[in-house]
Amino acid sequence: MRHPIRVALGAATLALTAALAPGQTRAETLNYAIIGEPPSLDIQMGTATLATTIGQHVFETLYAFDSKTEPQPMLVESETISEDGRTIVMQLRQGVPFHNGQEMKAADVAASLVRWGEFGARGASMGFQSAEATGDYEVTLKLKEPNGAWKSFLAFPNGGPTIYPADLVTAAGGEPLKPENYIGTGPYRFVEWRPNRHVELEKFEDYAARTEPSDASAGAKEAVIETLRFIPVPDVGTRVSGIQAGDYDYAEYISGDLFGMLKDDPAMKPYISDAPIFGLMFMNSQEGYLAGNYEMRQAILAALNMTEALQVSVGDEELWDAQGSFFPEGSIWHTEAGIERYSEGDVEKAAQMAKDAGYDGTTLTLLVSTNYQQHFDQANVFKRQLADAGINLELNVTDWATLLKERGEPQSWDLFMTHHGPAPDPVLLTFMNDSYPGWWTSTEKTELAATLNESTDPAVREEAWAKIQQLVYEQIPAVKVGDVFSFDVGAPGLETAWDRAPAFPYFWGATK
Amino acid sequence: MWAYVLRRTGAAAVTLAAASVIIFIFIHLIPGDPIAVLLGDQATPDQVDALRARLGLDEPLVLQYFYWVGSALQGDLGRSIFFDTPVTTVIAEGAETSLLLATITMIWVILIGIPVGVVAAMRQGTWVDQGLSGAAMLMASVPTFWVGLYLILIFAAGLGWFPSSGYPSVFEEGDVSNLRYLVLPSLALAAPNAALILRLTRASMLDVSKEDYVRTARAKGISPRRVTLRHILRNALLVVVSAFGFTFAALISEAVVTETVFALPGIGRTVVQSILRRDYPVIQGVILVIVSLYLVINLLVDISYRFLDPRVEFE
Repeated sequence: MRHPIRVALGAATLALTAALAPGQTRAETLNYAIIGEPPSLDIQMGTATLATTIGQHVFETLYAFDSKTEPQPMLVESETISEDGRTIVMQLRQGVPFHNGQEMKAADVAASLVRWGEFGARGASMGFQSAEATGDYEVTLKLKEPNGAWKSFLAFPNGGPTIYPADLVTAAGGEPLKPENYIGTGPYRFVEWRPNRHVELEKFEDYAARTEPSDASAGAKEAVIETLRFIPVPDVGTRVSGIQAGDYDYAEYISGDLFGMLKDDPAMKPYISDAPIFGLMFMNSQEGYLAGNYEMRQAILAALNMTEALQVSVGDEELWDAQGSFFPEGSIWHTEAGIERYSEGDVEKAAQMAKDAGYDGTTLTLLVSTNYQQHFDQANVFKRQLADAGINLELNVTDWATLLKERGEPQSWDLFMTHHGPAPDPVLLTFMNDSYPGWWTSTEKTELAATLNESTDPAVREEAWAKIQQLVYEQIPAVKVGDVFSFDVGAPGLETAWDRAPAFPYFWGATK
Repeated sequence: MWAYVLRRTGAAAVTLAAASVIIFIFIHLIPGDPIAVLLGDQATPDQVDALRARLGLDEPLVLQYFYWVGSALQGDLGRSIFFDTPVTTVIAEGAETSLLLATITMIWVILIGIPVGVVAAMRQGTWVDQGLSGAAMLMASVPTFWVGLYLILIFAAGLGWFPSSGYPSVFEEGDVSNLRYLVLPSLALAAPNAALILRLTRASMLDVSKEDYVRTARAKGISPRRVTLRHILRNALLVVVSAFGFTFAALISEAVVTETVFALPGIGRTVVQSILRRDYPVIQGVILVIVSLYLVINLLVDISYRFLDPRVEFE
């Protein structure tokens, strides 16, 4: 037995000496601690935030949002629109190389748009009739109906029309691109994806930047940091300690209860999100007790006190705002229409409304996942508040994958909890989509949505949206919980191009 | 001995076949849809159905099972739905971390558990024994994630001696100093396991020390030190060694909490993440590999008895 012990001792000594040896320095690398493994970076095909955060460094869209959320040209140079608003002719920039060395041409753009229109996560809502290359650098889009939000659609990277080389995107069809085919035009190029380890990007030396000054996602994008490494670190405590230890330069989604402790910590810099995420409690408009039962829905809304729900689920007051408008103040879409019904928290009124609606004590089922602690906390607060108003709510608690499946079955739920990221245009809100679970349709909605979708006059569209928000507070396809600002932390030496974290943090223009 | 090994291998194959059926059935019994997870919140039912058909997930379960077993027999465990890479690659990615972590942890467990267990047994009933046994109880009771987070706070964020998390491959980067990434996680993981081995060693030593041959040895005037090491410890180790095998297998398959806290790319985390994503091929593949691992370790432990105790015969 002595021999193996000696071997074991030797190995342990080796491990210890090795452990104490100085590590390699990794200059020019930004280590970003992400909350989990991202799904495919083919961001045409999915709407996961993580995939967009990473993918936007590699892939570009034809337009990009500036700091006022207005779409500005990115890969296009200029465009002309026909009188009827259905034909758009775009002139592309010349001399923009893909990461494989080929120049981006009209054929690549047309193929990418065609694939996105057919299979893309948000492609169907664009209403393409055709997208064709009508010259080396000219693409002609034909729409089935005029679309007031067409430029925003082409600018939003999340599930949006990123541009790939024609051969790759045509071959991929409805399947996500394979990692070896992650070829874009962005300031960083894809290097490798190691499951559970990292996704690595490196500076693309031949990147063709625009000449306009950098402005959020629009304008010139300059990669200063050589390598970006996105590392899944599932435990929030480890993400924070990793910043303190100098292992990470940026860590996302720090829990709200740590905010008070960390905001004054000299070892890190907090970045509160600039783009609120809001909880949504959807109601089933297709089947069950609440389908078409607007009076009962209003009774439920009247019982809910969102301040309580946000205090419990988020914590620090700097990180939430109990406001009922679907767009924050400052956005051109912000409107107060209908929000007097938001967060009334009046149980007596609610009880009376339920009685008037003929409520018979039916137990309503709320589908909620524990993968998102905030959803679960908010659901529990709502259950309590509704009970006070005499409305019976039963929680069906599952994991997220089960919830995604079950919410697709209209017979198995009355309400479900989810959340919504910032949208640049109201047409991108999930409840505007008739086929999104909840399946909200009504003649009023259809009429107003037609104006919103088809008008190209901003004033007409803003007015239509205000009426829709009013309608949302009457027909209640979903209840807005409130704005939640996530917060991230960065190492003290990191200089980013922004002070408040954008919805998808980007690192062109960043230095360390 | 070879006949014995052959017989045991045959039995193992039957166990493996049964396990494969059970794994397959249970995994597909969980509700949830990998495609919905993959395509995200906004995917339409048509898009989900189309991708499901392309990946063959709409075929009858029985057919899917036979496809899976058929390719598994040829060493192909299928492709991960989520990563779109072969399952064998996903497992190989996790295997290095898990094997190294388990090995280093076992070194701590042996270095701490056995000697301290021997000392506690030799000083049975004294304050030394009480103190060591008490410490062992504490280590066995404290949750690993708590120990892990404190190790990170003190030795990574505070003193800066070790990295806080992650593990860059030793082999790929050709840098042995990357083992420093595994020091804190292995200590966190070793704490409860060393405590168990300590208690097992102590109890087993006390049992053996009551045997007649120990009394005889002492009566013959052999030095107490020699009696303890040669006569008691060697026999007591029989029990401890069988615990080693399962401890090692458990360290590979059940280190998920430690892997999560330290953001290690190990097998435990891979399987839990895959369950959450319903990445069926990866779950099936990893569990199949873990079952095989248990069978092999079990066999090796049985064979090792023969070398520790010449009286054991292979029947």
